[in-house]
Amino acid sequence: MSGAALLGEARNPIIRWEWVYEEWDQIREALLEHLELTMLAMALGLVVSTILAAIALRFRWTMTPITATTSLIYTLPSVAMFALLAPVFGNLSRVTAVLPLAAYTLLILVTNIVAGFQSVPQSVRDAADGMGLSPARRVWSVELPLAMPFIMTGIRIATVSTVGLVTVAAIIGQGGLGRLIFNGLRRAFWTPMTVGALLSIILALMLDALILWIGLLLSPWQRRKKAAA
Amino acid sequence: MPDSARPLPGQVAVPRDIGFVDWFFDVGTWTDKGGILDSLWETVLLCSIVTIVAVIVSVPIAAALAHFGKAEVSTTWLVSISRAVPTFAIAALLVPWSLRRGWGFEPWPIFIALLLLALVPIYLNTYTAISQVPDGTVDAARALGHSETSILTKVEFALGASVVLSGIRVAAIQVVATEPIRAFLGGDGLGRYVRDGFGQNNDTLVIGGMILIGGLAALTGLIFVLLERIVLPPGVRRLARQQGDRTR
Repeated sequence: MSGAALLGEARNPIIRWEWVYEEWDQIREALLEHLELTMLAMALGLVVSTILAAIALRFRWTMTPITATTSLIYTLPSVAMFALLAPVFGNLSRVTAVLPLAAYTLLILVTNIVAGFQSVPQSVRDAADGMGLSPARRVWSVELPLAMPFIMTGIRIATVSTVGLVTVAAIIGQGGLGRLIFNGLRRAFWTPMTVGALLSIILALMLDALILWIGLLLSPWQRRKKAAA
Repeated sequence: MPDSARPLPGQVAVPRDIGFVDWFFDVGTWTDKGGILDSLWETVLLCSIVTIVAVIVSVPIAAALAHFGKAEVSTTWLVSISRAVPTFAIAALLVPWSLRRGWGFEPWPIFIALLLLALVPIYLNTYTAISQVPDGTVDAARALGHSETSILTKVEFALGASVVLSGIRVAAIQVVATEPIRAFLGGDGLGRYVRDGFGQNNDTLVIGGMILIGGLAALTGLIFVLLERIVLPPGVRRLARQQGDRTR
């Protein structure tokens, strides 16, 4: 980057609407890639954290090591995580982007799933047993719905933070909207950067609202109460 | 904070075929001008200032709001966004603004974005720390003739000190862990090794940078563990163990 040229170009307008119109295909592609990376990471994160939460709930002593490990993963710098995996899976591989993103969701998801199931009162569990429900049936149709508000809160927070982190994956050539941000910054042409940054924030807010709504649909009795935070 | 008028940063120049050990364990790699120690200092300086400013801003506000019990709604809302501050997008949006004012790429955009990231955990933990002090304790202090300020500082703060401190720890670790994106926003700091490693397709630099960034984040956590040992009186630490760790 050369300094003098950049300062001159700093006067570029923040957004140039013709560019948005002309490059709409590129923007849409970036947005879809962003969404795809977020969903892949969330799906992988959910599968792994459901297993981890089940282990933690079944064998109580595993709770501390599982929490400690996921907390540790959460504090790993994202740039370092991408840097770690890039030489292994290749710079442009989707795996390099999705694995760290999924790893970051574990702490939030496991904590919330465990908290959700622990919030089910023992008396409710006893009542379900008394009515003759098999353990699997009890978990599925009694405990899971009651734990749902916590789980959905976890999914919401994890999704929103993943949308933010996906932009960082642009450093390994992935990253959906993050690539637009990078392009804009590199050329001091602000339009792609503004579009990328704003869209990633809007996407996060919209997914937040959408998951909140789904959560309320799944647990109608919560509608009049505040969602479990 | 680094002076924005300093010469524009060059890239890390390393022969492509240099081995990791030869590069990383060479004294010159660390001590040369623009070497690892310089980058480390830039990173540590920015992160310290961000954390200190965040403490100065968050702690009094959270303490006052919790003491007078006024902010339940905003706290719940903050919990849900606390993990979700899109640091990279915010910093990027601030770059044109900063350039236009002639302040350069650094340090303002990354400083403000990191500050937003750091404010939340400190605010939340301080709020929790103060509001979990039992009413009876506060009333007892009041009956003993403590003024409201004195209750806040000498009773509520003292009892919640470990929770406040873990909020600061979480914030500091998150700031250190996020700071490397600065290298991708026209700045420097430790992230430059990963950036230039990718740019030059040189794994030595990428791995070296990764170790440096991860190491600093781990070190930050350790420093806070030590700090808790030193700062907190044994009684408060015992209390904290009884309360359980409420950082999350």
